[in-house]
Amino acid sequence: MPRLQEEGSGPVHGFWMSTVGSARPTETGTVHQPTGLDLAMKLHYIKSVYIYSAETTRDLTVMHVKETFFTVLDQISWITGRLRRRDSGRPFIKCNDCGTRVVESQCDLTVDEWLCAPDRSVDESLVYHQPIGPELAYSPLIYIQMTRFKCGGLAIGFSWAHIIGDPHSLSHFFNLWTRALAGEQIYFPKTSDLERCFQNPNSTGKEPVSIKRVDPVGDLWVAPSNSKMTTYSFNILSGIIWKCIAKSRGEPEPVTITIIRSDPNGLKPRVVRNSQMISSVHVDFSVAEAKLEEIVKAIGKATDERSEINKIGESDDGALDFVVYGAKLTFVDMSEVGFYDAKVKDTSPRSVYCNVQGIGDDGEVVVLPAAVEEEMVVTVTLPEDEIEKVKWELKKCGLIKALINGE
Amino acid sequence: MSQAPMPDFSSSVKLKYVKLGYQYLVNHFLSLLLIPIMAIIAVELLRMGPEEILNVWNSLHFDIVQVLCSSFLVIFISTVYFMSKPRTIYLVDYSCYKPPVTCRVPFATFMEHSRLILKDSPKSVEFQMRILERSGLGEETCLPPAIHYIPPTPTMDEARSEAQMVIFTAMDDLFKKTGLLPKDIDILIVNCSLFSPTPSLSAMVINKYKLRSNIKSFNLSGMGCSAGLISVDLARDLLQVHPNSNAVIVSTEIITPNYYKGNERAMLLPNCLFRMGSAAILMSNRRSDRWRAKYKLCHLVRTHRGADDKSYYCVYEQEDREGKIGINLSKDLMAIAGEALKANITTIGPLVLPASEQLLFLLSLIGRKIFNLKWKPYIPDFKLAFEHFCIHAGGRAVIDELQKNLQLSGEHVEASRMTLHRFGNTSSSSLWYELCYIESKGRMRRGDRVWQIAFGSGFKCNSAVWKCNRTIKTPKDGPWSDCIDRYPVFIPEVVKL
Repeated sequence: MPRLQEEGSGPVHGFWMSTVGSARPTETGTVHQPTGLDLAMKLHYIKSVYIYSAETTRDLTVMHVKETFFTVLDQISWITGRLRRRDSGRPFIKCNDCGTRVVESQCDLTVDEWLCAPDRSVDESLVYHQPIGPELAYSPLIYIQMTRFKCGGLAIGFSWAHIIGDPHSLSHFFNLWTRALAGEQIYFPKTSDLERCFQNPNSTGKEPVSIKRVDPVGDLWVAPSNSKMTTYSFNILSGIIWKCIAKSRGEPEPVTITIIRSDPNGLKPRVVRNSQMISSVHVDFSVAEAKLEEIVKAIGKATDERSEINKIGESDDGALDFVVYGAKLTFVDMSEVGFYDAKVKDTSPRSVYCNVQGIGDDGEVVVLPAAVEEEMVVTVTLPEDEIEKVKWELKKCGLIKALINGE
Repeated sequence: MSQAPMPDFSSSVKLKYVKLGYQYLVNHFLSLLLIPIMAIIAVELLRMGPEEILNVWNSLHFDIVQVLCSSFLVIFISTVYFMSKPRTIYLVDYSCYKPPVTCRVPFATFMEHSRLILKDSPKSVEFQMRILERSGLGEETCLPPAIHYIPPTPTMDEARSEAQMVIFTAMDDLFKKTGLLPKDIDILIVNCSLFSPTPSLSAMVINKYKLRSNIKSFNLSGMGCSAGLISVDLARDLLQVHPNSNAVIVSTEIITPNYYKGNERAMLLPNCLFRMGSAAILMSNRRSDRWRAKYKLCHLVRTHRGADDKSYYCVYEQEDREGKIGINLSKDLMAIAGEALKANITTIGPLVLPASEQLLFLLSLIGRKIFNLKWKPYIPDFKLAFEHFCIHAGGRAVIDELQKNLQLSGEHVEASRMTLHRFGNTSSSSLWYELCYIESKGRMRRGDRVWQIAFGSGFKCNSAVWKCNRTIKTPKDGPWSDCIDRYPVFIPEVVKL
């Protein structure tokens, strides 16, 4: 199987693969049916890295980490299953306890040296990623990479198929892991299929714009993109970026954007699912010329498109392929996600990185919380040829102090 | 129409009563003979009256010398009898290792790993899948941590750490259950067929628990899945020689260094069936253990068919075409196992079968051999001799074969099948998991007889007969404690993966 990351060339090397699963067997014949919303997200993957300092994790052995995963996965064993297709072509998850893949690696740098790099996209090499397919039945839905730093610190990186759940679910899952590590009893409620549907009373019934149909990708679930995507990150607020991107793109301006944020009426207690609010914003003025207040006001009036996406995801019995992130310029608000609640020995991680794999051509901006309160981390993913122009626009606004690549 | 089945039913009922009557008559022949004799004596005595009895007594002229000599003779004979009687060997208690959940290998995981490791041999992967589907194993069997890696990392360190994990955990549990102190162990026997490091595993145990320097320790390796009963035999012989002693036996198989890394089909079979497990057993000949011991060892019969070439080569460790070492299982394995069992039964039959069965067998033998009558060989009914059977869970085929040969019901082989399902083939320790299953189900009563049958490379068939010493309460902890309520499960012929 081809690897999407280089082996051994960087400071991260030595990949030992094994599998963790659930502690108790699932009854034979159990299946999990993804909703239309889940299926619409199937070409996307969430990558998330939690970096812990040496004092917190020096004594944490690999066996200990794996044991704790067994405990958590026991509560939510369907995510360790494998995909199958019904005769109609609709994917579903067979709960056969196959497990999640775990990769152990070493890094030649210390945690401090690693976190020195201002461009957090280096964290991508702490995530072992493989797309689902070409054989659905043998593709894990989750990859976990454990990297031990030279000083004894630990990074835990997840590659999580979006069909299972949104970034909030991933964060919740890992927070439960940290609580299980601390010795707490954890409990994951089971969701009935009914609770996972979205009925929007204000549904307009028209086609959602935040989603784009793509050509069939068959059983290799990689989002097709015509441009090679690169990721850069720097400290800045979102919203202003729309304006800068609009200025840099010129005609035609991106007048429709997708905003993805957590569901304000989210189910409590949290479960693993796709429940984040996917809404779209459409303006009929020129964003490049407009005042910032007007842009922010328009963002506030975003319309929730989840029920329409759910319906379109169900169409043709789930056999169609879609792209959501990047179908239109997408802004993902993860500032409410409790990434830093994942405390080991009562200490939050030094740094958390989260991004999406498989972004469409219109690009994506992710806003994350930073380790320091009140600070934000922004990750921008755009086509390679656009990124320089956007960086220049942002520098012009005075919002980035120093450009990456040593300029 | 309803008349037709009735005669068959009534004739089979009549036959059943005839059989029961015959068995009762032959088995209790001597006691039945004694009744009329006692009756006659009683009648005579009553007829004679008390004065006549006294006259007869006085006429016997007992004098003191005769009385003394006769009593000395009686005492002498009984002393010789008691001294030369073999010591009773007790099984005080035993404990079986329960692997941690992190070692669990569901079918799907095993197959996925197999596909990744053997990606150049899809036919071998297909073969493994078919074996696994029909194996009778369940989704909770366990492999050691080193084998969970893709590809497995079977270093000597990992093998030792698996040995330490399985052996020490079982022994700690045994010490807790029996209150045995490590320094009180007189004899230590460790058997592990395929992993034999230097220093030996028995030395590893002695080092860990700081056992006495004059301990009699033995390490049996290379003797296959029947080595558990060979260790029991060795312990029995030693306990006959050393008075007032105890023996600890550790039976295990270390999987880590023996995972076959090639793609030869006949050698991939053990990968699919062998799983982690171990058992620690405490045996004793002390009279003080008489009250708390669980079982008494009645018989132990060992049969070795190694003189026959086909039997010798049927389980053979060798290198494949690429130089990778694995165990080659021949296609005649089942037939050879059947032969070995017949040889073993021939020896153990007379020791355990009731007189009624032995007589029938003898008559059938005479009829076939001397008079050349075309009778089918009579298979003695071992269900009359034993209440429980523990057949080595070597694989589904072995259990099926023995069930057919010994004409056992589903309930008799339930312990073996369920052990294969829950723990896989744990080699020499599987008999102990099966015994634990029977106890966990609350079926073991005082006086019940258990027959343990083990097969092993060579080709060997060893059996042990135990008698339950006290009714055993369902154990609160143990390898079956968290899942016994789910058993017995129905195991389909083919599990669709």
